[in-house]
Amino acid sequence: MSVPTRSHTLRDIMIGCLVIAALAAIPFLLPSKAFQDFVIRCSSMALFATSLNLLVGYTGLSSFGHGLFYGLGTYSFALLMQKTGLPLPAAFVLTLLLTAATAVVVGAICIRLRLIYFAFVTLAMQMLAHSIVISWVGLTGGDQGLQGGIPRRVVAGIDLGNQYHLYIFSAVLLVIGLLLMRHIVSTSFGTSLRMIRDNEVRAAFLGIVVWRVKLTVFVLAAVFAAVGGIVMSLFVSGAYPELINWPISGDAIFAIVLGGVGSFLGPTVGASILLLLNDVVTRQTEYYGLALGIIILLFALGLRRGLLDFITQRLGGRPAGGIS
Amino acid sequence: MPEPSARMGRRTVLAASAATLAAPWVARAQSNPIKIGIQSIFSGPIALLGVSSRGAIQPEVDRINAAGGLLGRQIQPIYRDSKGKPQEAARVARELVNTDGCEILLDAEASSGAFAVQEVVRDLGVLCVHSNSETSSLTADPKLRVATAFRCARQGVHDAIVGGAHSAKVADAKKLVKWATCSPDYAFGRDTTAQFLDFLKHFRPDTQVTTQAWPKLGQPDFTEVITKIIQAKPQALYSALYAGDLSAFINQGNVYALFGAMETFIPAMGDLPVLTTVKSLPPGIQSANRYLPTFPDTKENRAWYEAYRKANNNDYPTNWSWENATAVRFIEAAVKKAGSTDGKKASAALAGLTIDSPFSNSGKVTMRAEDHTLIDYAIGWGTTIPKPPFVTGIEPADWGQITELETEWKKKSGYL
Repeated sequence: MSVPTRSHTLRDIMIGCLVIAALAAIPFLLPSKAFQDFVIRCSSMALFATSLNLLVGYTGLSSFGHGLFYGLGTYSFALLMQKTGLPLPAAFVLTLLLTAATAVVVGAICIRLRLIYFAFVTLAMQMLAHSIVISWVGLTGGDQGLQGGIPRRVVAGIDLGNQYHLYIFSAVLLVIGLLLMRHIVSTSFGTSLRMIRDNEVRAAFLGIVVWRVKLTVFVLAAVFAAVGGIVMSLFVSGAYPELINWPISGDAIFAIVLGGVGSFLGPTVGASILLLLNDVVTRQTEYYGLALGIIILLFALGLRRGLLDFITQRLGGRPAGGIS
Repeated sequence: MPEPSARMGRRTVLAASAATLAAPWVARAQSNPIKIGIQSIFSGPIALLGVSSRGAIQPEVDRINAAGGLLGRQIQPIYRDSKGKPQEAARVARELVNTDGCEILLDAEASSGAFAVQEVVRDLGVLCVHSNSETSSLTADPKLRVATAFRCARQGVHDAIVGGAHSAKVADAKKLVKWATCSPDYAFGRDTTAQFLDFLKHFRPDTQVTTQAWPKLGQPDFTEVITKIIQAKPQALYSALYAGDLSAFINQGNVYALFGAMETFIPAMGDLPVLTTVKSLPPGIQSANRYLPTFPDTKENRAWYEAYRKANNNDYPTNWSWENATAVRFIEAAVKKAGSTDGKKASAALAGLTIDSPFSNSGKVTMRAEDHTLIDYAIGWGTTIPKPPFVTGIEPADWGQITELETEWKKKSGYL
């Protein structure tokens, strides 16, 4: 893929602005708090799943432990807001820096490995982080989670205790996050990612410093996952061990599988489907796991790919990630 | 330029289309019945929490509706499964209020879910009664307290005080000094055990703890734990294990004759699903009541027990069942008193409210105003026998002593 032109970037920014404007207007037409809740949760999961797809879809790194960074974002932000008097932007930036630093260390260990070994070491890292959260009761609240709520200090008139403000905040973070990730995969760096995915040895022969590119995308993906985690911590007003436990990584993988690994917006579509399924199925039956399993089987055996990849291919296009 | 009427038409069409797309989220709050949102764990290994809670809630709701409803409106319970995930508990609580139009929340979640719901209630301002969380800090810690949230469940610190006092009395009589503990390896198990030992040492300062075992939740094999306890040669054993883990521990402990070798104290033993699933219930285990039809030994309690079993395919009620039945009765009384389901008004009515109850030795339970928590419920310790009624000689606790020591504990914990 060629380096993005200024017009492409401007087009993407314009679309992003339109999406934010549309989302901002919806509550005035349909004052449904549940819809706002859905968008907040969807923003969180979409950022998380799309960041994972930077590794899985674009670089060929199948991480089973990406939820470590989602959970780290949740806990770091919640703790900084609760235990310190920092304003929200400072806590936000510090959370991302902390996540990036952790990702450098974890990534330096993991990217030396390939295929299933990489997958399982990332999973082991997440399980280690989960164990630390459970054991460090004094700081994290252990298995009861971080209790007492997150004080949402007002900044420049933005009160994240107000649902509409949180809704807009989450939507803006989602759009900015997607635009940045879109930009990343559209640059020559993104091309390097795809080369590494397709043939790592050839990429190295062409002069790409493979470990550096892998480590960079690992850290970038971690930071975007942490942004998703921050949104979730604001939504639940706390942090809970389930948000850093390994099944949360499974949710992101499900989102990618449902939406499509080869389309940039596939994980966002998948996150929406996953959450809708959860909300609809939970209202109807207590056998949520069974229903979800059947639906994923239908996708895997029926469509043989994610929904957006399927649609893109039916329309004669080639998925952006070029996977299928 | 389009005609005004045409513009209106397009807007109407657009609004109708958007409404159709957003139909799943559109609130339907203006319906007539009083909707009560009830969330719990209805699936997975601890589905008994939700199932036995629902089993007690539904007959209470049916009773109220058969008598004409509440404030002239029928009650419509809406049950939702949170799957034991706190983030899902928070989402479900919001959905119940924002989408389903629930005016009241009956939160039958386990503790981690209850803490998540507490924060949602802080935002939404509806009346919420937590009916299963026993973690004391939920209502004891003023930083966590919420004006419209209440706990209608037994509390960890109450059990620790009563367990400490009873165990100290037995220890005095039988000269028990060396203790072992065996509790689940997570916050509940560790906190409950620490609180029990604190109060035991308060009454018996010469208590020594020789060993502590921490089996994992759902651990299938307790051999290592049992061997560790036997090797330490304690005179007494305390365990905060419960439900399926407790049944497995008792069954495997029987193989090693563990319970004949030492005096055993297990507060969660006195719950019928445990008592009836243990293959060979050892006699002489000191046990607190969770729910027992014989404690309090009144015709009201017995009648409730029979009615529960009749309504639930002959299943046994659990501790969670009486707590949820009580929660519905408190909601009923508070809404009647306030004449409204409004969060602030109903909460003002509920704080300090006393109602008649079959689950109290005094025949009444109270929602204490100062910390929005349940007191005066039946709590006591007895001894197991291998046949019904399974636990005998239950000695009711002194609520005066509980309140006094609870106040001391709150001061020590920085809550007062």
